[in-house]
Parts: sequence; C-alpha cells; structure tokens
Amino acid sequence: MARPRGTDGSLLTSLPWTVAALFVAFAPHVPYVPVWITGAFVGCAGWRFVVEKQRRSLPSPWVRAGLALVCFLGVLATYSSISGVGPGSALLAIMAALKLLETRRRRDQFVLLFLSVFLVMSSLLREQFLWSLPYMIAGMLVIMTAWLRMSAGESQSTRQSFATGARLLAYAAPLAIAMWVFFPRISTPFWAVPIDTSQATTGISGTMSPGDISALSLSDAVAFRVSFDGDVPEARDRYFRGLVLTRFNGRTWTMSEPSISRFAREQIETRGEPVDYEVTLEPTRQRWVFALDMPSYWSLSGTFMGPQQQLARNAPIDQRTAYNVTSYTDFRVGRELSDLYRNWYSHLPESSNPRTAALARGLRDEAGSDRAFVDAVLDMLHEQEFYYTLEPPPLGNNPVDRFLFDTRRGFCEHYASAFSVMMRSVGIPARVVLGYQGGTINPLGGHLIVRQSDAHAWTEVWIDGIGWHRIDPTAAVAPERVEFGAADAAFDGIGETWGFAAPSRWAYQVTLAWDMLNTRWNEWILGYGPETQSSFMRWLGMHEPTWRKMLLTLVTLVIALIMAISLLLVLRYRQPKKDQAARLYARFVRKTGVEPRTGETARVFALRARESGAIPAATIEEITQAYMDARYGGSDAAQQNLQSAVSAMR
Amino acid sequence: MQRTNTLEPVPADGNARRAVVDEARKSLATIILGKDEQISLALACLLARGHLLIEDLPGLGKTMLAQALARVLGLSFSRVQFTSDLLPADIIGVSVFRQESGEFEFQPGPVFAQLILADEVNRATPKAQSALLEAMEEHQVSVDGKTRELPSPFFVIATQNPGDQIGTFPLPESQLDRFLMRIAIGYPDEESERELIAGDDRREMLRDIRAIASPDMLVSLQAVVREVPVTDALVSYIQALVRHTRESADIEIGLSPRGAQALVAAARAHAFVENHSGVFPDDVQAVFAAVAGHRLKPAGGTRFRNPAELCQHVIDRVAIP
Repeated sequence: MARPRGTDGSLLTSLPWTVAALFVAFAPHVPYVPVWITGAFVGCAGWRFVVEKQRRSLPSPWVRAGLALVCFLGVLATYSSISGVGPGSALLAIMAALKLLETRRRRDQFVLLFLSVFLVMSSLLREQFLWSLPYMIAGMLVIMTAWLRMSAGESQSTRQSFATGARLLAYAAPLAIAMWVFFPRISTPFWAVPIDTSQATTGISGTMSPGDISALSLSDAVAFRVSFDGDVPEARDRYFRGLVLTRFNGRTWTMSEPSISRFAREQIETRGEPVDYEVTLEPTRQRWVFALDMPSYWSLSGTFMGPQQQLARNAPIDQRTAYNVTSYTDFRVGRELSDLYRNWYSHLPESSNPRTAALARGLRDEAGSDRAFVDAVLDMLHEQEFYYTLEPPPLGNNPVDRFLFDTRRGFCEHYASAFSVMMRSVGIPARVVLGYQGGTINPLGGHLIVRQSDAHAWTEVWIDGIGWHRIDPTAAVAPERVEFGAADAAFDGIGETWGFAAPSRWAYQVTLAWDMLNTRWNEWILGYGPETQSSFMRWLGMHEPTWRKMLLTLVTLVIALIMAISLLLVLRYRQPKKDQAARLYARFVRKTGVEPRTGETARVFALRARESGAIPAATIEEITQAYMDARYGGSDAAQQNLQSAVSAMR
Repeated sequence: MQRTNTLEPVPADGNARRAVVDEARKSLATIILGKDEQISLALACLLARGHLLIEDLPGLGKTMLAQALARVLGLSFSRVQFTSDLLPADIIGVSVFRQESGEFEFQPGPVFAQLILADEVNRATPKAQSALLEAMEEHQVSVDGKTRELPSPFFVIATQNPGDQIGTFPLPESQLDRFLMRIAIGYPDEESERELIAGDDRREMLRDIRAIASPDMLVSLQAVVREVPVTDALVSYIQALVRHTRESADIEIGLSPRGAQALVAAARAHAFVENHSGVFPDDVQAVFAAVAGHRLKPAGGTRFRNPAELCQHVIDRVAIP
C-alpha cells in the first residue's frame, strides 16, 4: 500500500484554524493536566504545522502508533488510571494532538473539530466558573469558524465564516436555554461523573495536627458564601460549625468513632430570634456541611446532625451546593452530661504534655471553681506573652508543652488545642470545634464571603449548670481575629510574618464586584437544582411540577423552537416564487413518481420519466416541450398547451 | 476592408434559418468526423461573436476545424503559426516606405482577415500573444498612431497545445478570459478513425467544400442570436450557477460577472443552433464546460482531474430554479 505521505500545502489555509480551535478547547484543561501533556500538545501542533508549511511527509504509521502508545502509557503512569475526568480529558487532549499528525484531508479535520467540541465541553466536568460560559461560547465560536473555514475554501472571507458561525450558535441558543430551564432536575443524577480523585480535598479535614489550619489560612479560596435573609449577625457570633474533635493522642485531635458517641445526643435549647440564610458551599469532596452555630433546620437532603451537633451529608459534596438553614445564635446545649461522657470528654493520654498538666492543676487549685479556672486560663493567654502568627515554629513531641512554655507563638489551632488540654488536665470536659469564623461582607451583594483563610478552631467546655460553652481562646490572644476576621488580623501587624502588603482599595472593590457576580451566578445559574426548578415551574404556572410534565413541556418547546427556526431559515433562503409554468410542471413531476435530480433539466428528466412508464411517452414529450417553451421561451401559447396537457393528465 | 451595412436577407422563417445552420453543421461533419458536439459549440461560439480556443494534442484536427469553418461560412481566412520568435508586426502588419510615392504604405498583416487561425498560440512570447489578444478585444489595431478597423465579422480561433508540453508560454488567466469558449477535440471514435485512415484526404475535401453562408449573413444571424429570449427563470439559473462557483469549496476563483455574460451569450447561440424557442437550461449546461472551464480556478487538492469534470460537478450540484 503505497499511499503518498507527503503533504501538498492544501491544508495551509484551514489548518491554523483547526489548530487554534484545538488550543482553545484544550486551554481550560491546562491547569489540571501534567505539564508534559501540554508540552506534547504544543509540540504536535507545531510539528504538524511545519510539515504542512514545508511540504514534508507526515510521520509513518509506525511512528504514530509508537507515539500513541507512549502517550497512553504516560497518562497511565501519571494518573495510574485511565478512567475519570482527569485521565480521561488528558487522554482526549493528547490523542487529539496526535490525530493532527495523521490529518491529511478534510475528513480528518472534521474529526479534530468534533474532538475540540468534546474537549471544550469536558472542562465543565472539572469546574463551572462564572467565566466558563462566556469562554465556552467563545470557544464554540472559534470551532464553528474553523469548521466553516475548512469547508468554505477561499471564496469566503474569515469575517463571513465568523458571522455564519455566530448565526448558527444564535439559532442554537434558544434550544439550549429551553433545555436548561425545562430538563427535569432530579436529586440523584441519572449518571455519575467520576470525580477527579487526583485532586486533594479542600478545606477542613477530619483531624487536626499542628500546622493544618495555618496551611489553609494562606489560601484565599472561597469556602462558601452566605446570604442572610435579615441582618448579618455580628462577627463574634459568626461561628460556622463544621466538625467536632473529641479524641487527643498527645499530638493530634481526631473525631470520635461513631459507635462510641452514637447515643450521646445532647439536648439543645434555643432562645431568641432565629437567623435564616442560604449557604452556597464550594465543593469540598468531604461530607461536612457548615452552618451557623446552632442550626435548627437545614434544607439539604441526606444531611444529619451528629451527636456533637455537627452536620454531615451521607455523600461527599462534589459540586457547588446551596442550602437554606435556620440557626439560633443564642442556645444552650447538653445541660446534662453523664459520668461516662464526662470521663470521655476529659480523657488525655498518659504522660503526655506533663508540664501543661502540672500548670493546669496549679491554676485550678488557685482558682477554686471551674468557671474561675476557665477565666484564669484565658487571662493567662491574654496577659502573658503569646503571639498570634500564621507561621509558628515547629513543635516536637508534647507539642502543647512546647507551645505553652517555649515558643508561645501560634495560631487558632494551637490555642484551641492547648486550652482543651489544660481543661482536660483538671477533668473539665472539653472538645475542639473546627469550622469557619467571621468572613467578609461584600457590600455590593450584601452577602458574606467565607474563605479558607477564615478556617478556625475553637473549644467547647462543659460546665456544670450551663452545659457546653463555646470558648475561643484565640480571642483572648488576638481579639481582632475574632472581631475583624483573619485577613484584617494579619494586616494589623499581628501577622507581620506575612510577606506581602495590603491590596489597594480599587483592587479590593474589583474583587468584591467579581465576587458578587459569582454569587449571583452560583445562586441563579449553577444553583438551579430540583427545588429551584420546581419553584420556577410553579411561578410559570405549572401545577405540581413533575418530571413528566417538564419533559413534555421541553419536548413541545423544542419542537416549537425547531419549527420557528426552520421557518426563519425558510424565509431567509426562500426560493424565488414559482411561476405558473413551474407550478404546472411540478404537478406533472409529482404525477410521474420519479424523483428529479439536482441539476437535471426537463429534457433529461423526461427520458427517465418515460422509463418509469407512469405517463404515456407522448404526454411526457408534449408537457416537457410546452413547459420549456412556456418557461424559457416566454410563449403564452405554450403556457396554455401546458395547462391543458397537465389538466388532461389525470 | 469596409464594414458593410446592408444585411443580406436572412430568412425570417425559423425553418429556413434552421436550414442554414443545419447545412453548415452537416457540411462540417463531413470533414471533422464524429465530433458533432464540438462542431455545434464552435458554431455557437462564432454566432455569439466570441473567439474560440481549441486546446488539444497535435494532430487531432484543430487546424482542420478552423479551416473548415472559414470555408463553410465563406469568411476570408488567414493563418498565423505562432513561434517563439514571432513579433507583433508579423501579426498586425508594418508600414513600408515606398520609394516611388515617397510615402509610408501600410502592409496589413494576417490579422486583417475575417477568420484568423492562431496556431499554437502558446508557443509565442507573451508580447506576440498580447498583440493578437488586444486585436481580439478591441476589434481594431493601432499602427504608427493610426487606428485601423478590423474586418467584420472578426473571429480568432486559437489552438494551443496542452500546457505541460515543452516550450510553451501559457496564456495568463486574464487573457484566457478573452476567449468565449475553450474546447478540446479529443480522439475520434473507432468508426470515424477508420474512415479517416482509409477515406479521402480531408485536405482535398476541404478544397471542394462549398460556402453555405456569407459574412453578411453571418452578421445578421449574430443579430438574431442576440434576440433569443432569456426568461427570468433562466437568469435565476445562471445566477445560481455563478453563485455556486463563487461559494464552492472546490473552486478557488469563481465566475466573474463577465463570465456570466459570456455564459448567457454562448447559451443563446447554442439555443439558436438547437432551434429552441428560448434559452433552455439544457443550452446553459451544454456550453457551461466550454465557457466556464478556462475561467474557473479549482481549489488546491480537489479531486477533479480536469476542468470538464469540475464543471459537470457544478452542474450536478445546482438545482434548476
């Protein structure tokens, strides 16, 4: 099989567009795929372009097969899997790039452009940002233009192709919107998108060791946004409860095993006015659901309150999730605590952090009561020289001892841990709560932005007669952290170890505006789930929206839209009005039962019509002649002949 | 040569007109065997007042067709063999100083004939080519500052060898456009070839051939051709064809408005030759390859081996409105 492998430069005009479309489609994947894939992608495109430019030969099938195998194994080695979003899109991208190396005809370019469409859409499986939609539209426009460039040849200018592509997308837009609005959303999706397991979980994890939260604190990624129905509560009340750590091994705090605390449900008493709000949680790939202390109602399905009042969903939060919560900021919890749990919550490992234990016992003896002891410890943290810093020195074994007596520099987790250990040392039940505290209010949207840097750890101690009582030892050291939020605390000079200056005013404004846009986007577009959809359907006047009704509406609407668009196209590309002769002839053509071919003249058609035998040959001859004389000779007599001959036909 | 204003009576009756054209066709068919389509096209080309380019290999009867046309239509004939050293003066003519009269006297060149056969036009240099092509366009030549009218009717039949032969200067696209039609002759079929080999010498036969029309009759026939009706429906078809050549991905350069005019003119002449009541789509299709073939530039890398295939492809794609 000696097929010529050389290129003739004929693709030189359309190839840059195809390559551009591929690049546009690949760009959103670049931050997620390994660098070598991007390199290979650019390399293949460059190689192919040089080959076309210099009329060289494309690589032989063996070389291509070898490259494909190498890339396949490369993906397999990088991800140790070929299924899932990460390896899947990496494989798609690399194979599209390799496909360029065997693109010699337009058909291959079609395949490539089709791949581009798939590639650009698959980036939605990773992230759905605000800019994703405009980017996707722009990407589709480039792909459409490339498509038209390829099929239009020289005669069409790039601007025309672009305009045609835009028009085609505009025709498709109403269909897309109808699908989006009416396609029934159900709580459990029909299909499950395999989650990119190569990505680490974000946010708070289930354990707390020294250094965990300070790593988070440097990230200004948004954890969640909160829109309050009424006023936003004061910063000191904005403790978003996440998970509760009850076990301490001398170094690390962990959660209690469910079997141990299953029956430990604690009594909750709420007082005062409830706070209603909506939380839009960014995907964490974990099960924790954050709510303002103390939630009494939450709209998220499959979510339950744990024994220590932490909310958790039965499935990880893999996509941006919105839920409504009602909370009471004034509450009492666990007024009664059995001896078993009293012991459980004040357990410490043997002979860990001995200096801390000794200090605590000394202070307890001085104080006389548990309450006085708590105040004494807070005073100690406040008055002695403790420093709030995001870059604390490393702590070895017995980290609480090292922290309290030697380094004295730390972050919320150090204080919470030290405080809890001191409480437990004298038998006061104590636990650590992880969550978020504070957040910044976006004045443009009126909502609260809670970032990863707002991650916080505080403690709860159980005091007889009161129950579990929240104590934030960080507030004793750096009240600004609690009053103004983590970022402001750092800028106030307490976190002087941070190596950057405060951003300028306008940059801050732009950030806020962008965040507001994002919030609206999340609320209205991405948050368009089952509940929003059904309330929107009710608003449209649909009684008791079911997925059947919605699907029916969708199908009807799609058919109507397609018909409307077709009508538009028909009007646009309407054939010139047929004259009388043409109409008469068309009747004759239908009568023959022979399908006329494109570009076939009446004379040639007559020959075929005669073969079919539906109409006598003489009639065919007569009609054909009369038609041509009438229509192209402009003869009125022929027109009448045609009229009578066609009428006589039946 | 003077332009004549008196038209020879052209039979008003369709059948009589038919007789002239049919006789001419029949007569030509005795010389050029088995090439009825090419004869029709060549006649149509002359009736549409266009110039004809015949492109084919040597020895297929290009010259014979030209000479036969001249004889049958009763036109004065001259032949210029184009060579690489041909000068414009060899075509147009020169002014010679006459001792006896003391004046320059113009010696007309071969271009001053009613039918000129420019043989192997692509063998000459562009300079000589353009001298002829200018005359074709202007129907007049300028020598020594004096403009001289060319005879009427005035036809050029140029022959050229396929461009890939050695020692050729291919005509540029702008000059190809001056020819209304470009046709190929092709090998004769088996029966015709037998007749050519065994039969009488065609050259002898050519000498005996009788003129069927006169130049004046030809001019009046040309006037009648221009009256062949073209309806709106046909104009739409021509437009659709032209638009397709401009928008098709297979074609890099489509038909210009001048190309569209040429298509209508040639189709009119064809309709006349075929005795149609008006220009039918069949006429347009019959002349399309001859008229459009040398005016279209196929896009690179397309699957068409020759212009005729490309033209047929266009015809098959465009619906007749």
